[in-house]
Amino acid sequence: MSKPELWVIAERRLDHVEPTTQQLITKAKGLAGDHFSVVTILLEATTDHLEDELSVYGPDEIRIARDDRFPTATDAELADAIKQLVDQYQPNSILFGATITGRSIAPRLQAKLQTGLTADCLDLRFDDETLVATKPSYGDNIMCEIICPDHRPQMATVRPNTFVAAPAAGAATVTDSPVTFHPVDRLHVTAATPVVNTATTVGDASRVVALGRGAASAATIDSATKLAEKLGGRIGVSRPLTDQPRFTHDDQIGQSGNTIHPELIVNFGISGAVQYLVGMQDSQTIVAVNADENAPIFDVADYGYVGDAQAFMTALLAQFN
Amino acid sequence: MKIVVCIKQVPETNDVKIDPVTHNLDRRGLAGVMNPFDKNAIELALTLKDSRDDVQVALLTMGPDDYAESLREGMAMGADEGYLLSDRAFAGADTLATGYVIAQALKKIGDADLILFGRQAVDADTGQVGPIVAEFLHQPQITYAASLRLSGANEVTAERLLEDTKQTLVAQLPAVVSVRSELNTPRYPTPRNIQLSFAKPLTVWHHDDLDLDDSRLGQAGSPTIVTKVYAPEPVKRELTPLTGTPSDAASQLITALKNRQLI
Repeated sequence: MSKPELWVIAERRLDHVEPTTQQLITKAKGLAGDHFSVVTILLEATTDHLEDELSVYGPDEIRIARDDRFPTATDAELADAIKQLVDQYQPNSILFGATITGRSIAPRLQAKLQTGLTADCLDLRFDDETLVATKPSYGDNIMCEIICPDHRPQMATVRPNTFVAAPAAGAATVTDSPVTFHPVDRLHVTAATPVVNTATTVGDASRVVALGRGAASAATIDSATKLAEKLGGRIGVSRPLTDQPRFTHDDQIGQSGNTIHPELIVNFGISGAVQYLVGMQDSQTIVAVNADENAPIFDVADYGYVGDAQAFMTALLAQFN
Repeated sequence: MKIVVCIKQVPETNDVKIDPVTHNLDRRGLAGVMNPFDKNAIELALTLKDSRDDVQVALLTMGPDDYAESLREGMAMGADEGYLLSDRAFAGADTLATGYVIAQALKKIGDADLILFGRQAVDADTGQVGPIVAEFLHQPQITYAASLRLSGANEVTAERLLEDTKQTLVAQLPAVVSVRSELNTPRYPTPRNIQLSFAKPLTVWHHDDLDLDDSRLGQAGSPTIVTKVYAPEPVKRELTPLTGTPSDAASQLITALKNRQLI
């Protein structure tokens, strides 16, 4: 008997594969062992070869449906195409990246399939053939383990950068599996333009200067910008500072923003909510500066200074020169 | 033009605790407030209402009777009416079972040109109910809209921000749209609107008021089960204190970073 299939739905990001797809393939391979077959589902145009960016991560199979309308297809059209493949192959589980696209298509597919979908997962494991998905709730202050015991496929969206992609040996079988494209005429993507600068989030930086409520003045932000330049990194913020016009969700560190693991993070004026600490605790070197000596941030830091963020930053900048 | 905004009531704070004995969420003493993201959806509806004479804005929510407070708040912002779906049979619903009841209620309300959602609820953080409802109603969806305007008699044009792409989408109505919080700043209820809101119709629908398949309701109609709830524990490290004046401490840090070959 053939193995049950664990699917990773490949997502396109402009002309490439969204990195979360590769992260999910690596995680799926780890989960699958000898028990599951890891199948990547790829919807692409007839002349595309995104499979070349997937095969090095070693899924057992890359199953491709081709149509020149896929690159600009809308959520309902993509969900419809995947539904046809699900009906044909009956996978055990389906994983999506919890990107904007993944979080938009997956629930439509869920509704078509009348099955369970767990959103924005931070961990996955199998108990036999039951997927146990760990999902944060209440702004990541609480974790829930969620299963879908009686319905198949089991579905999850997984937060980007939760897992690390690793190239793997073994040649993936590449197969074509045609579907019928059912156009939704009432909705069209009329333009798609790359957005400059938001492509790199704080999650991509190897050095991060992190600012919180205790380091939110304009002068401190200016000093932090200089410090980030000297370190060759960028600024990130804790959730309260995303209310400031200078910062967006892309700048937010923490499980509810970007889970990060840079070489170095220097935290200023951040006391350390649990979701923040867990979201950056895999950083190699953690430095914390905070006026409150009892701030939880010091529990997870390698180096700590109790004092004023601006004063410390000024001193640090002076000694860099 | 009829707009229905689907809203949710959530705890006033996300600072919830786990009961050490039962390992359940301890939500005692937490008051309910309208999900903040839903206010952006209401604001969008009211902006469209301000721009045309023929726009009616209804609010729809599913939950216990006290969810009426959020409906009243939305009507005080300027919405015309509210619908509350309240029944014990709906309790314990996951996103699929919730989406089913909301979709059935939208069918009963009928003829909505635009169905709006906030991007997600701040308690469960799924953002799934909007797309589920869109699928059940066989309507196109625009999720995470960063802007939306009426671009024709029966057409909207929206922008959607993906991770590194800005999409422009044009939809013929009816359509389901979920909105990002960056879209607008929700208005506050004025004293006059608060006063007016108490005269606005608030309709409560129970199980028997809707056409429902009982096997798709509540806990029984929910494919997912929460098996464990816990608070995440950060991993502790051994702290090396930086001491003295800011200048002393900065100097100690620079030495440490050099030793670690970080600078």
